[in-house]
Amino acid sequence: MMIVIDKAIEVKTEKTLSEKVVTDQNKIIENSWNKTGPFWPLRNLAAVNPISGFEDQPFEEALKNAQAYFQQEHFPEFMETVNRHTIKWLQAFFDEGQSTISMPMRNMGLLKSCQLLMRFDTSLCSGDKGKSEWLNSLSEDPKEIISECLNNLKIPLEKHEEFLTLMLTTLPGWAAYIKYRTDWADEKDNSNPNSVSKEGYMALRLMLTCLLWSDAAELLSWHEQILEKTDVKELYCLIKKNESSFRKNLFEKLDDESKFSVEASEADAQLAFCIDVRSEPFRKSLEAQGKYETLGFAGFFGVPVSIEDEVSGSSHSSCPVLLKPAHKIVEKPIKNRELAKKGFNRSQNFKRLYQSVKYNFTTPFSLVETVGLWSGLMMGLRSIAPQKTAVIGAKLKSVCNPSYDVSPKIDSIPFEQQVSYGANALKLMGLTRNFSRLVVFCGHGSSTKNNAYETALDCGACGGRHGAPNARILSSILNRVEVRKALEEQGICITQKTWFLAAEHNTTTDEVVFYDHDVPDSFEEKLNKLKKDLSVVRTENCKWRSGTMGMKTSQKTEQKIQTRSQDWAQVRPEWGLAGNAAFIIGARSLTKGVDLAGRSFLHSYDWQDDKNGSLLTTILTAPMVVTQWINAQYFFSTLNNTSYGSGSKVTQNITGKVGVMQGNASDLMHGLPLQSVNKSDTENYHECLRLSVVVHAPKSRILKIVKEQEILQKLFGNGWVHLTCLDPETAKFYDLDRDLSWQEK
Amino acid sequence: MSAIESLLVFDRLSLVMVSLVGFVGLCISFYAARYLKGDRKQRVFYINLCFLITSVFILVIADNIWLFLTAWTISSYVLTRLMVHKKEWPAAVESSKLALKNFLLGITFLAAAFLVLSVDTGETSIQKILSSELKYSSLITGGLLIILTSMTQSAIWPFHRWLTSSLNSPTPVSAMMHAGLINGGGFLLARFAPLYFQESVLLNSIFVIGIITALTGTLWKLMQSDVKRMLANSTMGQMGFMFAQCGLGLFPAAVAHLCWHGLFKAYLFLSSGSAAKVKRLDLDYPPSLKNFSLAFVCGLAGAYIFCLSSGKNFVAADTTVFLVALALIAGTQMALPLLSNSSVKFLPLIAALTMLMGLVYGLSIKLVTYTLLPMNISKPLELNALHTVALSFLTVAWLAIVFRRTIENPKNYPEWILKFYVRMLNASQPHPKTVTANRNKYKV
Repeated sequence: MMIVIDKAIEVKTEKTLSEKVVTDQNKIIENSWNKTGPFWPLRNLAAVNPISGFEDQPFEEALKNAQAYFQQEHFPEFMETVNRHTIKWLQAFFDEGQSTISMPMRNMGLLKSCQLLMRFDTSLCSGDKGKSEWLNSLSEDPKEIISECLNNLKIPLEKHEEFLTLMLTTLPGWAAYIKYRTDWADEKDNSNPNSVSKEGYMALRLMLTCLLWSDAAELLSWHEQILEKTDVKELYCLIKKNESSFRKNLFEKLDDESKFSVEASEADAQLAFCIDVRSEPFRKSLEAQGKYETLGFAGFFGVPVSIEDEVSGSSHSSCPVLLKPAHKIVEKPIKNRELAKKGFNRSQNFKRLYQSVKYNFTTPFSLVETVGLWSGLMMGLRSIAPQKTAVIGAKLKSVCNPSYDVSPKIDSIPFEQQVSYGANALKLMGLTRNFSRLVVFCGHGSSTKNNAYETALDCGACGGRHGAPNARILSSILNRVEVRKALEEQGICITQKTWFLAAEHNTTTDEVVFYDHDVPDSFEEKLNKLKKDLSVVRTENCKWRSGTMGMKTSQKTEQKIQTRSQDWAQVRPEWGLAGNAAFIIGARSLTKGVDLAGRSFLHSYDWQDDKNGSLLTTILTAPMVVTQWINAQYFFSTLNNTSYGSGSKVTQNITGKVGVMQGNASDLMHGLPLQSVNKSDTENYHECLRLSVVVHAPKSRILKIVKEQEILQKLFGNGWVHLTCLDPETAKFYDLDRDLSWQEK
Repeated sequence: MSAIESLLVFDRLSLVMVSLVGFVGLCISFYAARYLKGDRKQRVFYINLCFLITSVFILVIADNIWLFLTAWTISSYVLTRLMVHKKEWPAAVESSKLALKNFLLGITFLAAAFLVLSVDTGETSIQKILSSELKYSSLITGGLLIILTSMTQSAIWPFHRWLTSSLNSPTPVSAMMHAGLINGGGFLLARFAPLYFQESVLLNSIFVIGIITALTGTLWKLMQSDVKRMLANSTMGQMGFMFAQCGLGLFPAAVAHLCWHGLFKAYLFLSSGSAAKVKRLDLDYPPSLKNFSLAFVCGLAGAYIFCLSSGKNFVAADTTVFLVALALIAGTQMALPLLSNSSVKFLPLIAALTMLMGLVYGLSIKLVTYTLLPMNISKPLELNALHTVALSFLTVAWLAIVFRRTIENPKNYPEWILKFYVRMLNASQPHPKTVTANRNKYKV
């Protein structure tokens, strides 16, 4: 009897043990991905901290670890062989439309399809029968494969997590893309239906390692040695030195003038811009033109939507990547819907025709002879006279496929939601009274040619897209009489004298386009004046920007800047967010008239209207986190453009329409290209500075919020972001220390 | 002066080549002024580009074999210098080495060929060599050696690897390479065309390796998932077709092909930054038989216009029929997507479009062949079995893409397809040493 019981206990413990091993293993695999941050595809390059996986460590420690993991120039020899094979399969699997004869069986998912094909890969097994038999004998379950491989490679149990981490960090770009696919992509964002899982990729990577490098356990000792050698003290000191001189300068500017009087005179127009650093010099210039009040607000204007074009049927998310779109908004042409549709079909047919002849056997031979002369002509024109060519091109397009103005169908947002989006947006930008005649929501977007990084220049708050659709939605909502009535109940009184209007600031050319087809006549005079003033602002801002781009200023500056946006050979059409270093949260009166040199994100905030701190909580946990991502992306792309950026555009090669490689083949180069952060190969434009956040609010309120929000404790407590409070009660600056105490400056 | 003149030959072929290289060089100079701004090697790039263009100019007007060989050597070497751009990047250096080895092989073949020809004839002028009587053995050896040189230069299988591994070069260098130097093979064959008309075995071998390369290159092109390697493999296929045209005795058509392809490919390289933006559209394959027949009728109309405009017979028993067949295939293919998306009432419009294509196609070829007419290097051959087999391969491959079905269930994949896919995927990979397997080895 005793024996039986004993046995039963034995069996039971064995069972729990094996269960424990399984859960441990799941945890190990999951943890091994923690050091990898996501990377968005080219179609919407959302900015992200390339070492976001290290944010739970103090900044200087993360800097050191990241260097050890990501910046190593010398790998063990066979690691490179494994990488080469991994790249080959990933390139084929993740292709979104470059190849015509695509990898077979991709619908089985990454692991399964590769497993089925690798059986025939003679370069892997090189005639070794044992290897191919082993490959055939492997299970289909990724976790089992991982255990089997770790076993084969004789990796000690306690080192499993570290080894798996190294499997990812030695090919960081592709791992980051897979992390995006598994953790961030939604259906809208995801035009590749073939599935991939973290375990699946890990299993594939380990299978290749087993086949090609039986001594892969060496990787662990290699890494340990590097960790010992790595030292970032000097680098960190340099960063701190640069930061303190920037910050000193910034606070002097902010301290300089009498900031706390708010003029109550009525403005001719109020314009809300995105918090983007490119808005700041533009706003400054606009304010100098007349009685204009400008505000800063996240460029998606608080409406988390996905946008669908009625004509083309294409759709995309248009909100920060931290949010999921809550509504789908269809944009329809204002007039001539049939004409728009016809034009679209015509251009689609033309493209289809071209692709059908190009991507086949035999027919390309005729194709090149037919269009050779034409492409030669185009090549000459675009290279020698880009601007004229663009004008001719635009004319041709207006005949074949004329562009059309659109307006959003907002009825997919329930009325109560509309009211709450309207109210929240106005409250967040601190615009709840004293409405002027015209209130403009000005989104932004870029216009460049032949630029793989186009979307990195678009609106980050819109997930790497143009901001106009969101501006159109918010203004449509707020122009509704019913909505205004409901807002009145919340104490926001908007009279008939006010009209909300959407616009888009083209950050490459500084042109502002208005969506004003339904503006009542009574506003026309004000609008015309605004348009006239904006054209002056455009000239002014172009002049200023031409200086930053090393151009000679002349009468034709505006024209030259316009040309840059149309030029297929231009690698620096605009500076994007390069130079960004500060985020100022407070009333515009704090920064008005101060020369911030296009380096600051600006968010409007009135501490007196936010007694419970809920608005500030939103600003700190949403827009601020996005600005920190942007800041970190520029920081690290500048720090080491090879490890965290994507290298020079000159040798880039777009793979699978999702990302770029360098040359023949390489890791997926995540991060910004050299030309986005450097003036030249050797000279930086962007400076490696961590984000300095300045908040105009009482110390106690800020601290309370920080203590409630884990993410803020992580960022401030680990020194990823500097937080400074400009206390309205004492009018003094206080820095938040890592131990979350205030230091008076 | 006359001493210099005696080294040179200014004929229509030189004229065409000088125009092509000069024009592309000019475009690239303008392009690189902005594209390479801030690049620490921009100056070196321009100096090398000047050398390259000058040496190619000399090459295409050289009549003396040793001058020709020197210019050939210098231009190849300068190209390998341009390919490196940043010598700190090992993969780029390896690409350049690979190309250099290949070119050295080609130069050796060329030197040997020139030696054989000049020893036999006692001449050092290409024109004089071509007009003198050659021994059969020197004709064959010289001819074959020149073919081998052309193959190395134009990345003809099995000498293609340097080209498909050359994408570590800056984009403008790739453009220059694909519009310029790569055409050296075609130019060389056209230069020595009279040699090949003397022996059909030589022409047939050019044709066969050309077709093999055309099919292989195109297959690899269709399989690549990155834009630049796709373009490089496509060039390989196009060069193969150009070779095949030479093998058909249609040297002016081959020169037309290399010119128009050069411009087209240079344009595609320079605009490769847009690759992610161009969405692939659904082509509704396989088409219904009705649509296919209608498309075929459109294709016939297009091919007919092609014949009229390029001055060919619609029904001929010689190798020009090859070109007509290609126009027919292209015309049919072009009409297919249009038909699948429109109602039948648009048929006349679609036929008209196809005929327009035929017209442009025909005129493009006519432009070059007309220019080269005085050289008398277009002599269509009688059709033989090789030609027929090749044409049927080209047709079947085309139809296979149009009528292939996607296989949803992996169990239904025949094993040979999977094997073949993996084999071709591996074969089309760049040379391992030219891959940047550790990104940190990349250097700006």
